[in-house]
Amino acid sequence: MTNQFDFILIDDSAFDLFIYEKLIFKSGIGNSVRPFNAAQDALEYLIGQDDKFPETVILLDLQMPGMNGFEFIEQFDLLPEVLKDRIRIYMLSSTIDTRDIDKAKASSYIIDLLSKPLEIGLLKTILEQ
Amino acid sequence: MSDRKIRILYIDDEEHNLQSFKASFRKQYDITTTISVVEAEEIMEKQEFHVILADQRMPGMTGVQFFEKIRSKFPESIRILITGHTDISAAIDAINKGEVFRFIDKPWDYTYVENAITHAYDIFKTRAELKQRNLDLQKAYDELDKFVYSASHDLRAPLMSVLGIVNLALMEDDIQSQNEYLDLIKQSVKKLDTFIINIIDYYKNARGVQAVTEIDFNQLVKDVTEAIKFLPEFGKIDMTTNIIQTGTFYSDAMKLRIIFNNLITNAVKFQDQKKDNPFIKLTINATSEHTRITFEDNGLGIKKDDLEKIFKMFYRAGATNSGSGIGLYIVHEAINKLEGSINVTSTVGEGSIFEINIPSVNK
Repeated sequence: MTNQFDFILIDDSAFDLFIYEKLIFKSGIGNSVRPFNAAQDALEYLIGQDDKFPETVILLDLQMPGMNGFEFIEQFDLLPEVLKDRIRIYMLSSTIDTRDIDKAKASSYIIDLLSKPLEIGLLKTILEQ
Repeated sequence: MSDRKIRILYIDDEEHNLQSFKASFRKQYDITTTISVVEAEEIMEKQEFHVILADQRMPGMTGVQFFEKIRSKFPESIRILITGHTDISAAIDAINKGEVFRFIDKPWDYTYVENAITHAYDIFKTRAELKQRNLDLQKAYDELDKFVYSASHDLRAPLMSVLGIVNLALMEDDIQSQNEYLDLIKQSVKKLDTFIINIIDYYKNARGVQAVTEIDFNQLVKDVTEAIKFLPEFGKIDMTTNIIQTGTFYSDAMKLRIIFNNLITNAVKFQDQKKDNPFIKLTINATSEHTRITFEDNGLGIKKDDLEKIFKMFYRAGATNSGSGIGLYIVHEAINKLEGSINVTSTVGEGSIFEINIPSVNK
């Protein structure tokens, strides 16, 4: 039996949100998916949560208008520890800029930087480790 | 006080030297004088001088010492030392410590002084120009850097979306949903194509040669809107145009086309789906001297915080439905090239008005 996870998807591209959601459900690793097309909205959603928040995997895009992925991480840092402990963040981006890659690697909250398009098999392996 | 005149500060403890210098040169230069080095520094804090003249022999501080003191703080001003009796060690100090541009012997000769000041000002001007060029270059370099960063993202993102859809489609056995995926691929490819067209427009605008022709606004608007009207997103927008052209107006048709195309497309893209009567009102008043163009819509409107940023390169105001953030930047650049101006007023929920003023290009 495959492990199932709860996901939060943050991406300004409606296409990509649609694709991820479908991929996640089709591959059987998704228990629930909550898509946001603005990082600000996702942050506001998280701020409203308490310690009953389920263990969640966030797939975070980098280049977005308004709040970008790294700015989201800065704000995420301010959330209560109990909440942060329940969240695993993976950055998902088409960036090939070394400054971005280094910054993502340096962040203690970003577990890994995955390149777009999302390879669902790879994600499955990573999450089950 | 004219800005054209060379601004000179002259420091000498002997008042009559200052007076006679003023008497000789006050017509051609903007001259400030003082007998005190302390006061000289205070004056320099308040005003920039092109050339500083100082007497070498002053009580408390020599001219060279004064130059040495102010050099790092006011590096732009060109320094000239006036001296009665030059000994070689004073001259060496003047060059090495005070980095003096010229010596002027007392009693000074009118033409010699005039020459020295003219040359000093030339150096001042050249350095200032060089500094400006360097700033311009730095700006161009920063923009290029940003451009490559954002363009590579905007070029790759739609491709990666297509790959994602293909991956998804490969997992699907149902033929019916394949069509849905193909449609998504089509949209993504279109987005990429729009971006590439924008980049080409940007390039043409930035590097292309200005091609000035007589502008027929009726024809121009017709050409631009015809292409847009048949887009599926155009929907039920009521587009009205009111063109009053009273004279022959000369401009670059390509740039005008870019401006019209971007602003109308934006009005279409950011229309308010909740409104029953979406409209775009285009008004053009063209004389032989000048054209005023307004685009009014009742679309989504622009947030106050975003208003000042929308013309920046790659600034995207909204998350959904938005483009790459290059359209209005190109509009702004094109209007700049035409030596015109653009003004926006907008209220969220009510709509936006873009007003453009462009002068006719004199042939």
